[in-house]
Amino acid sequence: MKNLKLLLCCFIAILMFSYISSAIQAESNLPQRIISLKPALTRELYLLGVEDRLVANTIYCSQPPEAQKKEKVATVTKVNLEKVMILRPDLVLASSLTNSEQVEKLKNLGIRVTTFSTARSFSQICDQFLELGRIVGKEKEAERILSQSRKKMNSITGRGKNLPKPKVFVQVGAKPLFAVTNDSFVNDFIKFAGGINIASGAKTGLYSREKVLEQNPDVIIIVTMGIVGEEEKEIWRKYKTLNAAKNNRIYIVDSYKVCSPTPVSFVEVLEEIVGLIHVKDE
Amino acid sequence: MNRKLISWLGWIFLLSGVLSVVGAFSLSVGSAGIPFKKIIPLILGGRGTTEYSILFDIRLPRIILGLAVGSALSIAGVILQGMFRNPLVEPYTLGISGGAALGVCLNIVLRLNRIGGILSIPASGFLGAVVVILAVYSLSARKGILKIQGLLLTGVMISFISSSLIMLIMAISRAEDLHGIIFWIMGSLEEPNLALIKVVVLISILGLFISYLFATELNALALGEEEALHLGINTEKTKRLLFILASLLTGCAVSVAGVIGFVGLVVPHFMRMFVGGDHRILLITSALSGGAFLILCDTLARTIIAPLELPVGVITGIIGGAIFVYFLSKKQVVLGSKQ
Amino acid sequence: MLEVKDLVCGYDSKFILSQINFRIKRGGFWGIIGPNGSGKTTLLKAMTKILKLRKGKVLFEGKDILRFGFREFAKKVAFVSQSSEMGYNMTIKEFVLLGRIPYRRQFQFLESKHDEEIAERAMILTDTIRFKNRLIGELSGGERQLAVVARALAQEPRLLLLDEPTAHLDITHQIRILDLIRRLNRQKGLTVIVVLHDLNLASEYCDRLILLNNGLIHKVGAPQEVLTYQIIEDVYNTTVVVEKNPISSKPYILVVSEEEKANV
Repeated sequence: MKNLKLLLCCFIAILMFSYISSAIQAESNLPQRIISLKPALTRELYLLGVEDRLVANTIYCSQPPEAQKKEKVATVTKVNLEKVMILRPDLVLASSLTNSEQVEKLKNLGIRVTTFSTARSFSQICDQFLELGRIVGKEKEAERILSQSRKKMNSITGRGKNLPKPKVFVQVGAKPLFAVTNDSFVNDFIKFAGGINIASGAKTGLYSREKVLEQNPDVIIIVTMGIVGEEEKEIWRKYKTLNAAKNNRIYIVDSYKVCSPTPVSFVEVLEEIVGLIHVKDE
Repeated sequence: MNRKLISWLGWIFLLSGVLSVVGAFSLSVGSAGIPFKKIIPLILGGRGTTEYSILFDIRLPRIILGLAVGSALSIAGVILQGMFRNPLVEPYTLGISGGAALGVCLNIVLRLNRIGGILSIPASGFLGAVVVILAVYSLSARKGILKIQGLLLTGVMISFISSSLIMLIMAISRAEDLHGIIFWIMGSLEEPNLALIKVVVLISILGLFISYLFATELNALALGEEEALHLGINTEKTKRLLFILASLLTGCAVSVAGVIGFVGLVVPHFMRMFVGGDHRILLITSALSGGAFLILCDTLARTIIAPLELPVGVITGIIGGAIFVYFLSKKQVVLGSKQ
Repeated sequence: MLEVKDLVCGYDSKFILSQINFRIKRGGFWGIIGPNGSGKTTLLKAMTKILKLRKGKVLFEGKDILRFGFREFAKKVAFVSQSSEMGYNMTIKEFVLLGRIPYRRQFQFLESKHDEEIAERAMILTDTIRFKNRLIGELSGGERQLAVVARALAQEPRLLLLDEPTAHLDITHQIRILDLIRRLNRQKGLTVIVVLHDLNLASEYCDRLILLNNGLIHKVGAPQEVLTYQIIEDVYNTTVVVEKNPISSKPYILVVSEEEKANV
């Protein structure tokens, strides 16, 4: 009996030992020097709490403010290969905008590159976030953050459920006029906020002003950087027959907020949009 | 005669030296911040280190491609300026770069690189170039006679048409594609595929050798087509072959490196100021100095505002133009003056 | 040596030359004359491989010139244009050496010693040897024309064609060039065909003349036969007096101005 107990203890000890050692091994297999070539991914790394493993990012990674201080090795599209190499990363996170030839070159040089394509819906944003969590060994943290965001989202969408669905036009580009179709995650903002995106069924984002006037949205949201937004707002205001113009419901949203989404930031922006498209009845 | 040959060999020797110095300089300089003192020990014994990889996997391929593209464009420039007897002609005047850019544009927008892999972009560029070459040639050749003026006009027209089509495609494409198109067009010597670089090098060298078979013909053509005919040159055959040679060199260069302007225009002129218009010396000296020039410009492009990189075509334009204007004001340039 | 048969030249519906027939013996010194637009230059060029004929044949030493290769032909026939382009800035020696192109071998890039000797000889004959190292752009019109002749001679041709070589030249150079060509014709047996607008020069230097009018041959023969006051009036529509040159006994045309006509 005593021998059996001893054997069992040994067995359990061996099991635990191998489990711990493989956990340690797995931990040391996790990327320790990460370079992010996509602002959204930079933000997500900070969310997951692994920012000390981030060694460099792009010059446009300005969120959160601490990210500005990291070493800069790229623009959104072009990478400085020499700088990347000299930093000896064990993981480079690329976007679909990153120059594919450079991605190829990095792989040829023996560097691990994972590409995250542009998310086209909120669920894709969540999936990518989870994937990132898995890669850096923070799967649990990712799941936790996701479930929090989902909970918050449900409460927001719940609020808008019984309200009338206003017709919304979301403009993301000027000259040429570019709308948001259901091919983009921005469409989900409108969907979850309880509005109808008049351009959601369009084949391409190229839109004509005439079509917008014809569809007569109640709200126009302009997502764009700088003065262009103001100019566009002025142009829309001149159309007296446009509902959005009549009721002065043309809003400008900062593209920095919208364009590099994390699950958390998505929900924050969603809240703002709900406020914009639903008017509190007098 | 002996004196002439010695002076020619002297120039070739000098320019080879300049090329080597520029190459060494380019190898030692970059945004990785490797100190100059470390370069030689690195080359000799640094195999396997990251710094070694930076020198030989990142910088060296760019230097080699720069040499190949620079010389290809310069040779094409010499040939075309000799054929057209027009100092404003450069490899892109024939519309070849427009065709290549259009080919790449369509590839990116139609997502063809999913099918073809990483080689599909240069392939579609080359295909676009070939289509333009055939179009320009068939539009300008009447009854077996290749009219020089016709070539020029057709080329310019096709350039315009290609640009308009490219702008059209850019206007209706998504942001991701747009970036890809613009950066390709602006020109870059970064090429991941070493086999492709070898192909360009091979074609440049071949191009140089073949152009020498026509050096005397080019000299005779400088007197005018009729005079050249009287001197026993088969001008029709010569024009045809020279056109194909220059087009292939240009098409190859453009499809791999994008549109890098000014090199094919300025380098031949510049060399003419120093070595004269005899094509037997002009071809090799333009090839050598064109390569050195492009390597130098690329080095500046990737270091001036590091970590950002300027498109190499911007540097070739500014520096090429400035140097050229300076020397033009000092020396007289004589090219094919008519009585 | 040269035979032209039923030659017709032109484009679209326009005929520049038609019904041209003549034969030139080796060693001849022929001149082609006629009013402006009569087709003189075209006729000269028709005897080279430059022009495509609509009809007819040109036979050189019995062989149709179309059957000659370009190089082969250039070794036998040289052409001196009226105004030659200067090409890139080269020395006179390099300019003359271009005449050796037809003799260049397949992979030969540099001129051989033999080429240099021939070029030297050509420059000596044309008295341009003193400009050997000067740039072509530095020479006067007359000197340049002599250099062009030197280049043609470097081709070692059997037939020399010249298109108005004396146009734009002063009288010194006119005579120099024509004297040179006649000397080559008499001493070396070089066959010459020269287009001239100056009838007196044509009369003085040429053994036989072809007078063209509106693309047709009006008269072929020795100067005495061709340059009569009646023929000149028919072709040139102008009244002249034809005298005998007191020194050479060749026809000499005297111009009669409007004023003088009034006085008669």
